[in-house]
Amino acid sequence: MDLSLSSDQRTILDALDAMLRPWESAPIHDAPLFASDDALEAALAEAGFLQVTADPDLGTVTAALVIERLARLPYAVEAAASALIGPLLGDDPAGPICLVDTRQWRRPVRYLRENARVVVLEDAGVSAFTASAGQFRAEPKALFAYPVASLHELPDALEPLPIDPAQLRARWQVGLAAECAGLLAGALASTAAHVSDRQQFGRPLATFQAIRHRLAEAHVRINGAYWLAMSAAAGCDPGQAALAALHAAETARMCTYDFHQFLGAMGMTLEHPLHLWTYRLKLLAGELGGAAGHARSAADALWGPAEG
Amino acid sequence: MNFEWTEEQNAFRQRLRDFIARNVPEDWERFAEHGPGSPALTEFAREFCGTLAEDDLLTPHWPVEIGGLGLDPWHQTILAEEMWSAGEPRGGQYMNVNWIGPTLMKYGSEEHKARYLPGITSGQALWCQGFSEPGSGSDLASLRTRAEPVGESYRINGQKVWTSYAGLAETCFLLCRTGEDRKRGISILLVPMDTPGITVREIPSIIGRGDIHEVFFDDVEVPLSARLGEEGQAWEIIAYSLTNERLGIPRYALARAALERAVSILSERGDFADDAVRIAAAQVASLCEAARLANYALIDRRAKGETVGAEASSARFATIMAERRVAEFVAEQLPEALAGTHPFLKMHHQRGIVAGIAAGAAEIQLNIVASDVLQLPREPR
Repeated sequence: MDLSLSSDQRTILDALDAMLRPWESAPIHDAPLFASDDALEAALAEAGFLQVTADPDLGTVTAALVIERLARLPYAVEAAASALIGPLLGDDPAGPICLVDTRQWRRPVRYLRENARVVVLEDAGVSAFTASAGQFRAEPKALFAYPVASLHELPDALEPLPIDPAQLRARWQVGLAAECAGLLAGALASTAAHVSDRQQFGRPLATFQAIRHRLAEAHVRINGAYWLAMSAAAGCDPGQAALAALHAAETARMCTYDFHQFLGAMGMTLEHPLHLWTYRLKLLAGELGGAAGHARSAADALWGPAEG
Repeated sequence: MNFEWTEEQNAFRQRLRDFIARNVPEDWERFAEHGPGSPALTEFAREFCGTLAEDDLLTPHWPVEIGGLGLDPWHQTILAEEMWSAGEPRGGQYMNVNWIGPTLMKYGSEEHKARYLPGITSGQALWCQGFSEPGSGSDLASLRTRAEPVGESYRINGQKVWTSYAGLAETCFLLCRTGEDRKRGISILLVPMDTPGITVREIPSIIGRGDIHEVFFDDVEVPLSARLGEEGQAWEIIAYSLTNERLGIPRYALARAALERAVSILSERGDFADDAVRIAAAQVASLCEAARLANYALIDRRAKGETVGAEASSARFATIMAERRVAEFVAEQLPEALAGTHPFLKMHHQRGIVAGIAAGAAEIQLNIVASDVLQLPREPR
């Protein structure tokens, strides 16, 4: 056991922090439903932060650290699939990588656009296609704080990929867990800043125990989500990955309305950036069957498939 | 970041498992139903801890000079995990090796160390902690038990309550008031429980026999040298002790062991195919894992010589959540265990009720997290 960052990891996160400075603050002028920036995507690609998994000295834990750090930003940028699943694909797709679970193919797909590489998970196997314009419709008015699009249907012609579906599911779950941990941390920081600042009844909202206890409990859960994500990233073991995604999805569900609640009416506006984290969480919390889906995967991995 | 145990750490864990298999009786699970402070378990723990000490496994994390092996906090954790997973055959002595011993090492006089450490390192001592009072639970600093200097002695008058192990303990780690200042007016006295004027009465509890007591002090006299540290230093000393206590009990390990036992019982009889039960079990397992890793993050820092502050309260709250969910899962899915058909699960359930209460109530932990981890403004007093 050594749970501190290695010197390589420290160096990478420091460099990432330095690069991310222009995107630390939410865009305030146009109060968008979601924030994305091509310049951020380009800077990430150019600096190679999403290629850390391929380096044997860095690997999947470093990828999870990068994903978690990026998710703290108010800006959405595709990182989890590129960093964790990209290396399994064997080619180097130019655009983002999208993930589709055939059981839930109607769900809005994050970052789906023309030329995106779409990886399709079925129990029987993994396949892929490159998205063309006629296959999906963009959903610019979706409430989720990601750029999303919906497939008209699952394409018939899919290219089979030599990837173990259990491994794809585990890496998807590790990515979900790490991204949720970062989003939760960002949302908590934003909420804590508000309740420390906002005065009612002559004192900061944060001095009321009804609020501080729930925020403290949120911290406990989010801290657990972070460590579960990192431990799951270390081996991409299906059981640990499912537990990590399960804990992240449950924590997302428990925290998001609380955080908006503590902002009062401000939490309903787009002027405050809280939704840029929480409405990403809402989409992530349901992927792969949501908490119940992850729980089923975890039970199968830990105790064997259901019999009888 | 590396989540693997070393070969040496795995071997240490295996050595403990072998030791436990050799040294707990065949009917241990039913035996462990006796409360942790019961006469039967206290007597057994003396024998068990004596053998542990002979094998250098009672205080291996202590410095070599006073009977330890100088092993790091990871070994202390492995040791505690194996003991708790087995139902804590050390009984009330876990407290001695976790925090009473280390506190005496840091703050005790040479006389204290000579008098008390050998009993702890040989596995024979039993202590109780005289903290809570009828009017002072979470608001510990309001305590009123008073120690007045009379010549070369302190004369103690007052009452403690909810005191674990007091019935059989030889020594009390007693907090009492020696001055008027709320916190700086409190001192620690190490009081032999056979001193005239002490009366102990057991309070029946869910935990089991011998665990909870009230203790009365009527003109109890101890020498001034019974004081640990300076007059008024108690608050500083117990802050140090409680950090050890909060990290010292791996309840997540016993909780996970109880969950695995429950799943195995349900599977054997064909009751673990139900989707709802499987989902619930996985949810519980995720909380146990979250608690384990939150604790590990702090043990790692301690192993590197860093101070662990308010985050200990966060890890402890994670443990409380896991502990309770396991207990609920068992009560819902295997209620017959609480009737006695599965003593290990009953024992876990009984001891689990302590998790959010002893060593600082859960709400106090949340206050500490809010103020000192999240840096929220403090509530007005």
